Amino acid sequence: MLELENEIFLEMVHNIQETYGYVPEREINQLAEKFDQPRAKIYGAIKFYSMFYTEPTGKYVIRICDSLSCHLNDSHDLLLAVENFLGLKNGETSPDQLFTLEVVECLGHCGEGPVMMVNDKMYTELSKGRALEILKECQ
Amino acid sequence: MIKLTIDNTPVEVEKGTTLLEAARQVHINIPTLCYEENLSIYGGCRLCVVEVNERRQLMPACATEAEDGMEVKTHSPRVREVRQTLFELIIASHDISCELNCLTCTRQASCELRNVAEDIGINRMRLNPIYRGLDKDLSSYSVVREPNKCITCDRCIRKCEEVQGIGIFANSDRGPETTVTTFQDKGMGNVECTNCGQCIISCPTGALHEVYHMDSVWDALYNEEKHVIVQTAPAVRVAIAEPFGAEPGTVATGQLVAALRRLGFDGIFDTNFTADLTIMEEGTEVVERVSNNEHLPVLTSCSPGWIKFIEHFYPEHLKNLSTAKSPQQMFGALAKTYYAETMGVDLEDLVVVSIMPCTAKKFESKRPEMADDVDYVLTTREAAMMIKAAGINICDLEPEEYDNLMGVSTGAADIFGTSGGVMEAALRSAYYLITGEELEEIDIKPVRGLEGLKKAEVPINEDLTLKVGVAHGLSNAKKMMEMIADGEEFHFVEFMACPGGCIGGGGQPISAELTSTETLQRRMDGIYSIDSSKKLRQSHENPMVQKLYEEYLGKPGSHKAHKLLHTEYTPRGLS
Repeated sequence: MLELENEIFLEMVHNIQETYGYVPEREINQLAEKFDQPRAKIYGAIKFYSMFYTEPTGKYVIRICDSLSCHLNDSHDLLLAVENFLGLKNGETSPDQLFTLEVVECLGHCGEGPVMMVNDKMYTELSKGRALEILKECQ
Repeated sequence: MIKLTIDNTPVEVEKGTTLLEAARQVHINIPTLCYEENLSIYGGCRLCVVEVNERRQLMPACATEAEDGMEVKTHSPRVREVRQTLFELIIASHDISCELNCLTCTRQASCELRNVAEDIGINRMRLNPIYRGLDKDLSSYSVVREPNKCITCDRCIRKCEEVQGIGIFANSDRGPETTVTTFQDKGMGNVECTNCGQCIISCPTGALHEVYHMDSVWDALYNEEKHVIVQTAPAVRVAIAEPFGAEPGTVATGQLVAALRRLGFDGIFDTNFTADLTIMEEGTEVVERVSNNEHLPVLTSCSPGWIKFIEHFYPEHLKNLSTAKSPQQMFGALAKTYYAETMGVDLEDLVVVSIMPCTAKKFESKRPEMADDVDYVLTTREAAMMIKAAGINICDLEPEEYDNLMGVSTGAADIFGTSGGVMEAALRSAYYLITGEELEEIDIKPVRGLEGLKKAEVPINEDLTLKVGVAHGLSNAKKMMEMIADGEEFHFVEFMACPGGCIGGGGQPISAELTSTETLQRRMDGIYSIDSSKKLRQSHENPMVQKLYEEYLGKPGSHKAHKLLHTEYTPRGLS
């Protein structure tokens, strides 16, 4: 029997999310069988990590850091502007499945705040205007 | 042996004993919340912290093994200060605001948090409770979850996974956002929950409780046009007096009847009557299937938690289940036919209520194949609440008798309430059905007791020795199913979803003082004392069941009996 603590579990979840953009229900069922664990437990283990999704996400996942350093650089203002532009709140996905908005903890660029990620790409020292331009390019 | 001192009292314990167990050995009570007998150690609530050898770091007593020479202080000033603060933090996450007022809480009379507060000696509450605004889970026919009351002690998660072998709950998210939830947050009614209600017994905060049918039953009782009858399950009579201060296992059959009569029920009957009937139907089926070697082993079908379990996890074995309905549903089916016809009651006006030690019975009564034979199901706890609310103390009443038509039963029916009881009752009558003679020794001891898995061989005649098995608690049911899959031979196997059988059902009163094993043992003793005190102890001797067959059903397994008293099952899997 495989253990959930085993790093292979996380690797498998990462692979699933890379394939589908989220971790679909049938994949959780299969993991449960593979690891001989209740499926609720697998679900809980996945939900422990904020970077995994169990619901479909938008094509572009927008992450805005609101940790201390970015916060001091007005990340909240940036967030409000992005929220208004997308019409989304933290954790929501747009009906056209284009955008998912997430407020996250530190992205590792504390000297260059406020920062925003669009999928794997990092944008630093962002103004509100530049952020909206980036989002418009996605549309 | 390991020698240590706890609060200056010398203690000797076996290696591997925890400090919590060692302290209990010398009657020192260390408060706990996330600890529960028979569950794995979680160490999450930290209320059991103690000082060891004056080390700076306090140790959780539940998760620390005793070592030679330890000097443990369980109630030093530092420990008490830390414990109070921890409790304040826990309570802040347990919403006790106006909306979830203690007074309307399911645990109003048995609050474990209040007991812990008393044990700690709480004299301050500095933090405002957090209201998390989470929705109630109302998806199940049997159990309600109120997550705003949850303190994430994890007892429900461990109970479901470890004792019941299922694991429908898990923690999602982390830190203060941690929430106990179900697979994909679907709700208990939409996952592989068996409705057994064991999680309710484990929950210290009232975040889990049964779906109440009390208000509907009050309405029916108050409505003059309704003819309301009630049936009481075997395991209820040895537990109903507990909420009134009596010991578990106190037999209060007659007092229960008297209380229900005072509440205004128009007929008070006994599920025992249909338990005897179940034995006639199921026993006949077993005898037939054994002699035809058809779909063996026969698996019992009385426990609705077990039925949902097998439908989810072993749908390929549904053909092994006895087709006999459970006693509750047999009663319902007869109430709406035999009783209504005999008494001349209009079906429109007839309301059938049952009092069960069980939350899964609520789901069972809503199964489409059961029609609306049973209208409302009250747990033992709900029945006690209603009796209290009518100004009655059950312990003060003189015993009364059940109404006659469906109120007569044998000792074989009483033992349905405990693990091994259905098997013993069936064997008593199967012997008679096959040989035409009575068993010499009708106490079948190997199937009794709290052992999780039990086996016995009962010689019937020269050609046939019945091999039987008994499992209670669904993790044991799983083991039994694996034994069967591995080729172990049985003719007949009894399954009950709850530990101890119905006496340990999810609808039974929750005892704050005794451990679950102590409670179960006392209720079990109560059940067997009723059986041994009865003159008639074998189902086929029940005169009213004989009358029912003569006047209405014909013989066991007849066409009419099949139509009314047998059912089919639904393969569910894990969709």
